Amino acid sequence: MNQRIIYPTDDGGVAVIIPADCGLTIEEIATKDVPAGKPYEIVDVSEIPSDRTFRGAWTWAS
Amino acid sequence: MSLVKIQGNASGTGIFTVAAPNSNTDRTLTLPDSTGTIATAESTLSQFNASGSAPVYACRAWVNFNGTSTVAIRASGNVTSITDNGTGDYTVNFTTAMPDANYSYVFGADDNATNTPFIQTMISNTTAALRIGIWRSGVGRADTPNCTAAIFR
Repeated sequence: MNQRIIYPTDDGGVAVIIPADCGLTIEEIATKDVPAGKPYEIVDVSEIPSDRTFRGAWTWAS
Repeated sequence: MSLVKIQGNASGTGIFTVAAPNSNTDRTLTLPDSTGTIATAESTLSQFNASGSAPVYACRAWVNFNGTSTVAIRASGNVTSITDNGTGDYTVNFTTAMPDANYSYVFGADDNATNTPFIQTMISNTTAALRIGIWRSGVGRADTPNCTAAIFR
């Protein structure tokens, strides 16, 4: 899948869910794997920075 | 209507009996729609290339992923996704939950290039997911291109 699911973490950062080829849709994976009560957004993989040098500085901007 | 045929072997002398268990419930055994031999406990061990009588405990979930650049799963089994929580911090999310959280986990991590050792640790685990920390000697929490995990229970 060329999509990712992002949601804010409790410490102000952002988590990125990378889907597996498991037979579920991206929406089904979001429903299952995003922590309950967290807002989330499905984005194209191209929107996720590939430079992880400052991974800890990534933030959620919905 | 398809038919069921029970065929003997002209060369043998043994008598094969299809026996019912002590039960008051009607059951139906559906045969597979393919040619083959019904597996027994012994023949199943043979399929795993397992010698001796020690039992075999199969892997219940596994994943191989790239933890650098654009993080991506290369291959997996019983895994819906991994969550990138930060540098060297990933959660493996199971498709079907483990029966309990007392499972065993085996990790692997390397970077293809150096002899610097990586250490993977379990940060937390539940029946639904396993959170992994990856550490590089002399660096601290680190990303690496080859990350693997296998879960046994």
